[in-house]
Amino acid sequence: MTAYLIRRLFQMVIVVFVVSLFMFFLFNIAPGGPLTGLQQQQRRITPEEKARIRAQYELDLYWPVRYTRWLVGQPQGPLVIGGQEWFANVPMGCYLEATPEEGGGCADYVYLSEMPELHPPIKSSRGILFGDFGNSTVVQAGRPVWDLLASRLMATVELQVISLVLALVIAIPLGIYSAVNQYSKFDYTFTTAAFVGSSMPTFFFGLLFILLFTVLAGRAQEVWPWWPTLPPGLREAVRPYDVASWLRVQPGTPLDRFLHLLMPVAVLTIFSVAAWSRFLRSSMLEVLRQDYVRTARAKGLVERLVINKHALRNALIPFITILVLQIPIFFAGAIVTETVFAWPGMGRLYFDALNRSDYNIALAFIYVTTILTVVATLLGDILYSVVDPRIRY
Amino acid sequence: MTATAEPLAVAKIPREGKEESQFQIVLRRFMRHKLAVAGVVVIVVMFIGALLAPYIAPFPRDAVDIAVATRPGPPGTMSSAGEMHPLGVDHLGRDLFTRLLYGARVSLSIAFIVVVVSELFGVVLGAAAGFMGGWFDTFISRLVEFLLSIPTLPILLITASILIKTDAQLPLPAFVTGFVSWMLAAPPQEANKVIVLMAILILLGWTGAARLMRGMALTLRNQDFVEALRAVGASNTRIMFRHIIPNGIAPILVNASLGLAGIVIAEATLSFLGVGVQEPTPSWGNMLSTAQSYMFQHPWLPLVPGIPLCLVTIAFNFIGDGMRDALDPRLKR
Repeated sequence: MTAYLIRRLFQMVIVVFVVSLFMFFLFNIAPGGPLTGLQQQQRRITPEEKARIRAQYELDLYWPVRYTRWLVGQPQGPLVIGGQEWFANVPMGCYLEATPEEGGGCADYVYLSEMPELHPPIKSSRGILFGDFGNSTVVQAGRPVWDLLASRLMATVELQVISLVLALVIAIPLGIYSAVNQYSKFDYTFTTAAFVGSSMPTFFFGLLFILLFTVLAGRAQEVWPWWPTLPPGLREAVRPYDVASWLRVQPGTPLDRFLHLLMPVAVLTIFSVAAWSRFLRSSMLEVLRQDYVRTARAKGLVERLVINKHALRNALIPFITILVLQIPIFFAGAIVTETVFAWPGMGRLYFDALNRSDYNIALAFIYVTTILTVVATLLGDILYSVVDPRIRY
Repeated sequence: MTATAEPLAVAKIPREGKEESQFQIVLRRFMRHKLAVAGVVVIVVMFIGALLAPYIAPFPRDAVDIAVATRPGPPGTMSSAGEMHPLGVDHLGRDLFTRLLYGARVSLSIAFIVVVVSELFGVVLGAAAGFMGGWFDTFISRLVEFLLSIPTLPILLITASILIKTDAQLPLPAFVTGFVSWMLAAPPQEANKVIVLMAILILLGWTGAARLMRGMALTLRNQDFVEALRAVGASNTRIMFRHIIPNGIAPILVNASLGLAGIVIAEATLSFLGVGVQEPTPSWGNMLSTAQSYMFQHPWLPLVPGIPLCLVTIAFNFIGDGMRDALDPRLKR
């Protein structure tokens, strides 16, 4: 087990490293970033000014150098050993690019010895490994990324926890009931419905909800003023609004929050229920065929106890892996659902950051999500062997 | 007299115990799955619509009808020129039925190309890994583990968004671009962008097939018939391509048909979020994306691309389910 754990941990580090390196490389070839906006505002920008702005965002450095500075905050200057500077004349980037007339290439390199004054340690990140995620460049320019992520985390966690609890409460009984009454009318209806539900694209489901409960309900309200409608997006309203003629909601109140939660939670819950209950059903069917269930029945145990104590507990074992894999989603959120409902959570922040080329946010998001995903996978495997002693690594 | 009767009896025996071919058994079992058959019907209809898009579409793909009074216009909108738009027009005045047909062509083509290429990749790599073992197996297995352990959607989004912003192009021979351009019924410049999108989906999509095939190859290579093949002097390549892969193809077919649904959804999601197929190339996803902005005034707008999209994904899933039942070796009849 120890050897297995060490091997897995080693693999995890490699996965995170490779993913972050790949992302950094992608961002390096990506256009945009803080410079695009500037160029659109001021078309007449001298090469020197451009270089200064590039330097401000560390874009003058080569991308592997930027990567190590982003990861561990190094290199910050020449290596000083025994009072002597080493590698002082290694170029780390290009401060001023040469124009095509000058023959291209680089007119002014950034050397390692110049790093402390061009990119002073006080202004640069201490490295993501030491908990410094740098600053946002576009979405909320200058604000620390970690702070921005933390401010969005609660919205995502709220959405995910509520839908997780609801989905569990609905999916487990549904799956069991359907398995115990296999081939009954209920089972047929339920499996078909769950199958259809889990094969529809999420975002269209979200749109359909908005269409039904906001747009069409709004049309109905024009005819019958008592007909309620639901707010289509955001976490809370900005100004008071009427749900129906008999209900006026003030922004920020618990009721307002609740109404805004309804649709996104419903979409997420329905999808989880459709997927999980199908999974539980087949897992339960598998267990019900086992000999120990027959033994339990043969010794005259009440059917309820056979199901709840002997079958269900074993049927839930493979389900643990699925549940544990939800961990990264608590952080990352449901990107699609949050975007459809304009929910101010992590997923939407990530998507905004991508659209507006705020790469520090996107990188931090990918980095944390990847770590959480690999940790969750490992945790799932470990838990699996804990609950089921037949499995050994 | 009996001598003449005997050949008759002999001739009767094979007819009585007539063996069904493997294909017929599978087909008969598939036909029992009513929803899967319905799925096939849906797909065939969509497929014909997509294939004939340039011939049955009432208008050119990007034609803007300035004569229409309201944009977006509801189904049955008449232009002043007296032409009817059966599903209405979009915010620019383009005929929605036309764009729906071309969108079907784009969405289905992407799904088919991506699934065929990634399953091919997966099958060959997986079979080679399982059959040959050694360092190659270790390498492929680690690569698959790696791709399965990364968060897919964020990485898909980031890659697609950056590659589309950079206008990246893959260095491909002209006939590939030409073929994709014909598949999509779109000009080559547009096809180039779609090729990049397909490449991303393929890179993340081959792992399932590889895992399945590797598992099959691992069990198959220890069986007696492989030993026998070796004894008669068959080469490794021959054993792999003529015997291992055909024997392990059943789960791959199921995987592919479920994969079709997955890719249709993935493409629609990316296009909906604006990082997939780009305007003016129509796809169901980007039609939904524009529909979203206008749905408050025009509630029917998202339904036009949304209903076929749902039908297709559900149909592919049902077909996959039906194939799983039909190809399951544990069921005899």
